[in-house]
Amino acid sequence: MIQTSSFPIALVFPPQGHFTQPYLALPCISAYLKAGGFPDVEVIDASVEAYDRFLSRDYLLRAAERVEERLPLARFGGRDALGFEDMEAFRAAAESAASAASVAHEVEEAKAVLRGEAFYDTARYVPAVRTLYHGLRLVSASWFPSQLTPHNFTMRYANDRSREVLAAVDDGAENPFLEHFEAELLPRLLAKRPRVLGMSVIYGSQLIPALTLGRMVKRHLPDCHVTAGGGFLAYIGKKLMHAPGIDTCLDSMIFHEGEGPMLALCQALAAGDEPRDVPSTTWFDRSGARVRAVENPPGHPIRLDEAPLPDFDGLPFERYFSPEIVLPFDINRGCYYGECTFCTLPTVIGPGYRTRRADTIADHVVQLKERYGARNFNFITDCMPPGMIADLPEALIEREADVRWWSDARVEPRAYTREGAQLLYDSGCRKLLFGFESATPRLLKMMKKGQSVRATLDVARNCAAAGISVTFYAMVGFPSETREEARATLDFLLDNSDVVREVSLQTFHIDEVAETYRDPDAFGIRILDDPEADLQLYHEYESESGMTSSEAAEMFAEMMEGFRSRLALFAGDNIFYFMQKSHYFLHLARDVHPDAFAERCRARTRRLAERGASPGLAPAPGLSLIELPFSYTGAVGALAHPLARAVRPDFLTGRYVAGAREEAARAIGALAPEPRVLAYAGGRGEFVELRPDGRLALEAIQRAGSVGALQAEASAEDAEHLARFAARLHALGLLVDEREATVPAHATPPAGVTSNS
Amino acid sequence: MSDPKEPQPKEAGKAPAPKEDAAKPLAEKIGFAKLDLTVEEVEERISPRETNVFDK
Repeated sequence: MIQTSSFPIALVFPPQGHFTQPYLALPCISAYLKAGGFPDVEVIDASVEAYDRFLSRDYLLRAAERVEERLPLARFGGRDALGFEDMEAFRAAAESAASAASVAHEVEEAKAVLRGEAFYDTARYVPAVRTLYHGLRLVSASWFPSQLTPHNFTMRYANDRSREVLAAVDDGAENPFLEHFEAELLPRLLAKRPRVLGMSVIYGSQLIPALTLGRMVKRHLPDCHVTAGGGFLAYIGKKLMHAPGIDTCLDSMIFHEGEGPMLALCQALAAGDEPRDVPSTTWFDRSGARVRAVENPPGHPIRLDEAPLPDFDGLPFERYFSPEIVLPFDINRGCYYGECTFCTLPTVIGPGYRTRRADTIADHVVQLKERYGARNFNFITDCMPPGMIADLPEALIEREADVRWWSDARVEPRAYTREGAQLLYDSGCRKLLFGFESATPRLLKMMKKGQSVRATLDVARNCAAAGISVTFYAMVGFPSETREEARATLDFLLDNSDVVREVSLQTFHIDEVAETYRDPDAFGIRILDDPEADLQLYHEYESESGMTSSEAAEMFAEMMEGFRSRLALFAGDNIFYFMQKSHYFLHLARDVHPDAFAERCRARTRRLAERGASPGLAPAPGLSLIELPFSYTGAVGALAHPLARAVRPDFLTGRYVAGAREEAARAIGALAPEPRVLAYAGGRGEFVELRPDGRLALEAIQRAGSVGALQAEASAEDAEHLARFAARLHALGLLVDEREATVPAHATPPAGVTSNS
Repeated sequence: MSDPKEPQPKEAGKAPAPKEDAAKPLAEKIGFAKLDLTVEEVEERISPRETNVFDK
């Protein structure tokens, strides 16, 4: 008899995923293992744990010390020039010097705002999110040149080269997760002594952290079988398992749907067997003189309707950066349409298209609501088939589920009628995201989207009329697309900004599974291979016509600028709502109408723009002024150059442009020394650059007590000059009036201008 | 304007006050109209990596 009750299993979601809501795969696998006779399963979201620890006061204070050791600002003084190769370090050093004390002081309150009722107050929400972004920049500076953002984790190493990936895993100076896992996760795993560690790697940004943890666990717990699966590994897993050295991080890898293979793996290991018969699994046979990767044949997917309720037990709901949890739930797997020539998502979830029945979904949703007190759901689906678009809302209404939900959707004109959309709204649907892609029929045909621009707009209008917020996915740079065609897409989206509230814009890229890769001639492109990249998934290409990929990158910037100028949610710092998954939805879930929310955003933008130079203005509490030997904005501007952006390996597309650093250094040149002052006023605004005279003026305002007090003793000309300066700084949050000073930016650090001189 | 190679130390919260101007009001001493009060901000360009937020 196998003693499965004494067979502890740890399922870990490695960093980096987004910090607003839990992910679904591991709760599904946990439930399946428990139903299969393995009760001792722990699910750990190591990603949100890392964010929560990194964005803590103590960690940020330590980060500031590390930056002072590794990137002292004084290092840049006394130079004749700042070369391109030093600009990123200069930027990090300057920002950290200006912001560290303030960010460390504000971060705990910022998290509390996002987790509480203050989340729904824009005046509190925006500074809180900004503080977290600035906190992550400080964290990143302390592990320079690694970068952790809310959406990505990148290091100097490319993740399409196994040698670099393995070097990153051991780089204690630049890999923040080595220290983090040793301090936090490893002690817990040593206490638990799991027999299996299963990791879910769905994004490229998780690869290095996952292998970091895998290697650490294999060193400390040699009896623990370390396995990994997930969407990203479905793409590169085979290459990875045959790359030298990966056997020091993993024992096996599971491809596609994880429930069945994971249960079979645990059963085999509990019985003392090798995973020879575990389906959909590649494993390392260590019995011979050399370690050998063995590929097992694929297994059958599970019957989705019979799968148990996802088990979110043990996940730290209170640590996500949202006031209310939004639970993911998959209503189907795969894509019933499956024709789009650019899309490979259906291939990573396993063979075929499978769905649950609408009444099963409604049952599970009601059970999850009762079990976790969650009213909000993110239905995970590549697209809902037309029948489900009618059946699901009916089932939810019949069960009186009283939930709010959002999901991706495919344009189905016969289903998203006015009545259909109203039914969806009545069932709790508050946001739908459609694959719009382009306003050019020629391109839609090449993409095999099977939808017209007109039908897409009709569907969107019907949803908007019902009160459902509409988001469009759009793409720039599909093979042969011209600038004019991209601009037509931009114009179309802006013309319909009363219907389309958000646009998730992506530059086109080719992965090895897509039809564009398999049949490049049909798209007029030539695929470029990189022989050095043994884990290559994404490929550069040359197109016979249309934009090059760098021209598409430029067009991306132009389109984004257009959205920021016209879409209410994209204007100014309102964009934080768009950029934090589910945060805008949480307002909709409280039945705020999309029109009302857009108006709220517009009013905020107007209010900020109209800030003038009132006499009561004084420096914001805790305003920090740092002297710089070079221009900060000059460095940031240079780093925004397309060539400069190509220097860093891109973890989403895997692109690594060989020689980019040298080319960028040649094209961008160096900055000449110029005395500048960097100003920072906490979460109230971004970093602002002044001349030394600006500092003089600010310090004079501080001494006088207010702008008005200083103006009273000034000549008319001086007073006018000062008023213009004060109005600008008021708009940027460096000067505040009495009322604004009392609104915490979050908590207010000690009053007065702080300075580095 | 200070030489970046030799940063001129300034005490926080105090504007320089040449001795001969000591009796003048602060604003007059400083003469704001002569100052370079340029303000530069950074409009962060949003990378494609940061926009596909619904997939992540």
